[in-house]
Amino acid sequence: MLRSVTGKTLFDQRRALLAWSMSLALLVAMYVAIWPSIRGQPSMSDLLDRMPEAMRSLFAMSGADMSTPTGYVKIELLSFMGPMLLLIYTIAAGAAAVAGEEDRHTLDLLLANPISRTRLVLHKLAAMALGTALLAAVMGVAMIAEGSLADMGLPVGAVLAAMLHMALLALVFGAFALAIGATSGRPGLSRAVPAVVAVLAYIVNGLGPVVSWLEPLQKLSPFYQYAGHDPLVTGVSLTGVAVAVGTVTVLVLLAVLGFRRRDVAA
Amino acid sequence: MAADLVVRTEGLTKAYGRTVALRDVDLTIERGEVFGYLGPNGAGKTTTLRLLMGFLRPTAGRAEVLGLDAWRDSVAVHRRVGYLSGEPALYDRMTGYQHATYIGYLCGTPDRDRIRTLADRLDLELDRPVRALSKGNRQKLAVVLALMAGPELLILDEPTSGLDPLVQQEYNAVLREHTAAGGTVLLSSHLLAEVQRTADRIGILRAGRLIAVERLDELRGKSLHHVTARFENEVTAADFAAVPGVRDVVVTDHALTCSAPQLALDTLLKQVSQHRVVDFECAEAELEETFMAFYGAGEGGAA
Repeated sequence: MLRSVTGKTLFDQRRALLAWSMSLALLVAMYVAIWPSIRGQPSMSDLLDRMPEAMRSLFAMSGADMSTPTGYVKIELLSFMGPMLLLIYTIAAGAAAVAGEEDRHTLDLLLANPISRTRLVLHKLAAMALGTALLAAVMGVAMIAEGSLADMGLPVGAVLAAMLHMALLALVFGAFALAIGATSGRPGLSRAVPAVVAVLAYIVNGLGPVVSWLEPLQKLSPFYQYAGHDPLVTGVSLTGVAVAVGTVTVLVLLAVLGFRRRDVAA
Repeated sequence: MAADLVVRTEGLTKAYGRTVALRDVDLTIERGEVFGYLGPNGAGKTTTLRLLMGFLRPTAGRAEVLGLDAWRDSVAVHRRVGYLSGEPALYDRMTGYQHATYIGYLCGTPDRDRIRTLADRLDLELDRPVRALSKGNRQKLAVVLALMAGPELLILDEPTSGLDPLVQQEYNAVLREHTAAGGTVLLSSHLLAEVQRTADRIGILRAGRLIAVERLDELRGKSLHHVTARFENEVTAADFAAVPGVRDVVVTDHALTCSAPQLALDTLLKQVSQHRVVDFECAEAELEETFMAFYGAGEGGAA
């Protein structure tokens, strides 16, 4: 584990990743356990239908329908809870990557070795991507495995597609935190800005269909790339993947450029 | 010629906004030297060392380490340089051995025997997490990490702070072996006493300027002596103040006290012996005092 910066970063996170994985599996189990009682309750769907349209689009992805397993999972896990949890992980990891080490003064120890700043950023990105992949996989597998116990019959391919898009969504904001941290060296700033932007992007995507002046902005939101094509129904969207990967690439490039140009604080 | 220069800076300047931390420093260090970089806290010592490590980008001028540009070629520089930061930070939850393994892999492959040997010599336990170590033991671990890859140049920022005297001796021995094997050392300190046992040359930094570079043995030639003499007859201050180099001449009643550099002692002594001497005393001052006499006390800028 200690053979590279990637390995060491994940080694540092080993307990946190274990705790995250267990919490995610439990969370999914909780929603799955509630499902049988929701299924027989038409009033839940009525409640959704009676919600103001703006609110409904904020809390549920397209075609909110609590009466089917996919609709239930979309509303409870995929539209808000899942992305929020993964974003918390990636934004924290991105901020810790460079700015966190700098804040704890360990960046000197690291950079005194023959490793370029570019490689350091790429290793930190790799660690974040692997951590995110693990958490997304845990969530996806939990949905499929635990869901089958409750006879939810979720489509395996589509669940994995949704989790791929969710992981990419989280990585976009993680890379944003990494870029701010690498350029500024300030961990607080690199957590706060992506968090605020994520909330805005979420609102823009949710209200886009309802609020006319937000509509042109909706497609710019990473949340649209994640869920606009309804991955639990239509599977992987190559455009969505390409836009997310492109965004991450640009942000990492900015991180590298910003980090290479500046002084490192003692 | 340039191949023998391990460190070479030209007009090296670092400014933060309008605050100039380091101004126009020209410094050369040759292979095999131990160079003591001295100055009060805040004079720019750490800034210089961090510029040499490529952590900071020079505002003007340039710094070369082992013939490579310290900023642009920092990765190649780091392959051949060991660095000990002024306040070494480590990973709290990792053990000393985990640190050595990680840093070892970043430099290639960890040399377990060398790590063990260094740790044993400095009396350091490697299997406890850093947060359970005392300040002195953390310092030792940081020293081991800087030394373990067998670098050509060691850049040490205040290396002996926190080490107890016994460990300091062992640590000095490690440094001597390093130079005996052709290695070079640049170490900073705010205390001359800390470097005078190990350094060949010293540079004196004040308020961001390198105000003097001296061979330690030459500085010794200038070393100040306190001279006290009592005479049978009355003497006047003017008799002694005229001797070049003599300073702080005080004549009270039949007694003289003054300070003189080693080189002025002969003339002074001849002057003294023209009178009937009752008592005579001559003692070498601390190098620190010599230092202050030549380069003045703390007030900045006047160099």
